[in-house]
Amino acid sequence: MSENDVVAAAKERLEASGLPSDWLDTPVHWGVKAKEQATPENGGLRFEYLNVDVYGEVPEYWENNTEIPRGAIPDTRTEQMGYSIFNKSEVWSDLCAGLYEDAIADRWNSSADIPWESLEPIGSDLERAVCQIATLMSEYGWTKAQTTGRWLQEISYGYIEVKLFLGTVVFDAARLYEVWRKRALANGGGLGRGGRNWKFLPLTQSYTFSEFCVASIMHDAMLIALLRHGEQLAQTDAERTIYELCQQDIERHLAYFVDHMRYLMLKEPIRREEIHRYLNKAEWYLAKDGDDTLYSALAVVMGDGREGAEEAMADVAELRREQVETYLGYLRQCHLGDRDDRLNEELRKWAGMVELEEEEKIPV
Amino acid sequence: MVTADKLDELQLEPEVPELDLSWLNLDTEWGVNAEPGRKGLTLQQINKTLYGDIPATSEDSSARPRGAAPPEGATPRMTPWVLGEATETFSESAGLLYDEAVSRQWSSATDIPWDTLDELPEDIERAMAQLCTSLTEVEFIAGDVPGKWLPRIAADHFESGLFLMSQVMDEARHTDVFRKRALANGGGLLLQGGGGGLRQILEAEDFTQMSSMLHILGEGFVQSLFRLGELIAHNEAEKRIFRLAAQDESRHVAFGVTHLKYTLDNQPDKAEEVHWTLDMFENTIVDPDQANPGLAGALVYLLGDGDVDEGWRLFWHVRRKQVLEYLHRLDVAGLGGRLESGRLHPALVGALDEN
Ligand SMILES: [Fe+2]
Ligand SMILES: [Fe+2]
Repeated sequence: MSENDVVAAAKERLEASGLPSDWLDTPVHWGVKAKEQATPENGGLRFEYLNVDVYGEVPEYWENNTEIPRGAIPDTRTEQMGYSIFNKSEVWSDLCAGLYEDAIADRWNSSADIPWESLEPIGSDLERAVCQIATLMSEYGWTKAQTTGRWLQEISYGYIEVKLFLGTVVFDAARLYEVWRKRALANGGGLGRGGRNWKFLPLTQSYTFSEFCVASIMHDAMLIALLRHGEQLAQTDAERTIYELCQQDIERHLAYFVDHMRYLMLKEPIRREEIHRYLNKAEWYLAKDGDDTLYSALAVVMGDGREGAEEAMADVAELRREQVETYLGYLRQCHLGDRDDRLNEELRKWAGMVELEEEEKIPV
Repeated sequence: MVTADKLDELQLEPEVPELDLSWLNLDTEWGVNAEPGRKGLTLQQINKTLYGDIPATSEDSSARPRGAAPPEGATPRMTPWVLGEATETFSESAGLLYDEAVSRQWSSATDIPWDTLDELPEDIERAMAQLCTSLTEVEFIAGDVPGKWLPRIAADHFESGLFLMSQVMDEARHTDVFRKRALANGGGLLLQGGGGGLRQILEAEDFTQMSSMLHILGEGFVQSLFRLGELIAHNEAEKRIFRLAAQDESRHVAFGVTHLKYTLDNQPDKAEEVHWTLDMFENTIVDPDQANPGLAGALVYLLGDGDVDEGWRLFWHVRRKQVLEYLHRLDVAGLGGRLESGRLHPALVGALDEN
């Protein structure tokens, strides 16, 4: 029997038994064989390899408000699902599929992958300081997971790669939360004092996804600059590993947020001023929150106890300067280099940047 | 105009943050130690002393980790509302299920032996492609739902939050693996299969109602089906997909069962509301008008390997198992008696008939 006859016979059998059979001869983009790329050298069957033929066509505007898989044939009876993001420019980055697979390949387990046995008693001030830092790290992890998770129900299947990647962000953030909680409760310490949370409002209150993205760039950039000092801040191998693994995760998140914003700025340059407003807000809350427990705890760690904290403050100031510069550096990568001249005044002081006279500001 | 070089010249010393050491003298619980065990340092091992006390009611809508001291000064409300009652979202197994999720993550790229996908006859390849089209669609919604609820979980009940975060990840992988299977072997994506209760799960505005639909009935049925994946699969790759996905679904189902149990143990008068929800949801999933136009046909076809009569026989075998396991799960959760009281939907009662 030829393939056509096989399908026709199958249809007949299904119909005879009262089953729908439309799916058997629905027009389909037959012959896509992603398995052919799935070699061990290629990293197995990565999501990028699925983007061929009609399945790889990511439309500028996605019209369907149901959960229909991109490339499938619609069933017009399906209820709308309440998605709100239908513009590619609002969420897209070409990196998503790859970053999604990277996140899975890099997965780690805070129970088994941290050499917890390397923890040893440190002075009580130091332990308090590490625990204070850990408390604030956990708090950000929680906020990051909650605020990222909220966007999933807004994004349609048209941009599936973005959503899959955001799933890994949520999961990474869960680990950021719990690995630091574990550190605080593992070595004779306990949790410290929670932060004031004002600085998180730009994340929780965002109305558009890109607003959420730039607020995330600010928070993640501040965090990554700190994590990059892991070698200096860690007391033990356990902490060193925590810093490294968290850094690896946050680097991926930044890679996406930055690439997405770069894409948005290219596609919709008209949104530049609007985006600056969000940055104004995010920076204002960050500066105003002025949560000094983080920097004071860092000073105790860097000063090896409370006696050395005062002196270590100069190093902490340097670290905070790096945080602001790191943040501006990421914005430059997404064609928002004009932020240098519009940075919040408090943050300018953190970064040791001169306050510019009005007429000196670089025209936008 | 100021150039970048000039800006460098004008660089000042960074402002030094104020040193405030008041947090060195907090009266939070101190002196907690945890020893890693056989599986390393799990959440269970750090859930000690005050840090392991789950408040029945949480007044805190901030991100403050359970057991940390409150900050000084004013704090904002982060979200319009969180579910402060433990009975609304908590499960005593959530922490354990999260730990398990972390240690059992798998990769759809490298843990599926894709090289075992041989060419299949066109009718079988089409049926598998149709099944996977329907499944990637279902899994997509299964990931939206926990995402929606995350901002509403109180930080004091973080175990449930962590579990939902792991579910978001699991469902991303399921969405992905079924799309991969559809596009791996020549088939492609076929007919959308909306309806069937997906919207009802997403639109629910009560966590326990949502969870009894998603975790207990919906994912329960899916898990029972995946565990019989051997009957559907034609090669090692497909077998492995169903086996690994079933393992994940077991955790999701276990969360739903233990959450419902916790709720009913502490708030027995919630039972009728959950029964009502299940009345509605059972009706939705057996409603012929809601039936997924591709799913049932493709499933029957695959079960019988092209023999439709045999496929039907196995379909009812699967359905019977789904219903039995569903009833058992409700029993464990403390919501037994749906069959005996005549409340189970007649179409599901009918599935229990061995003939
Ligand atoms: Fe799933
Ligand atoms: Fe699931």
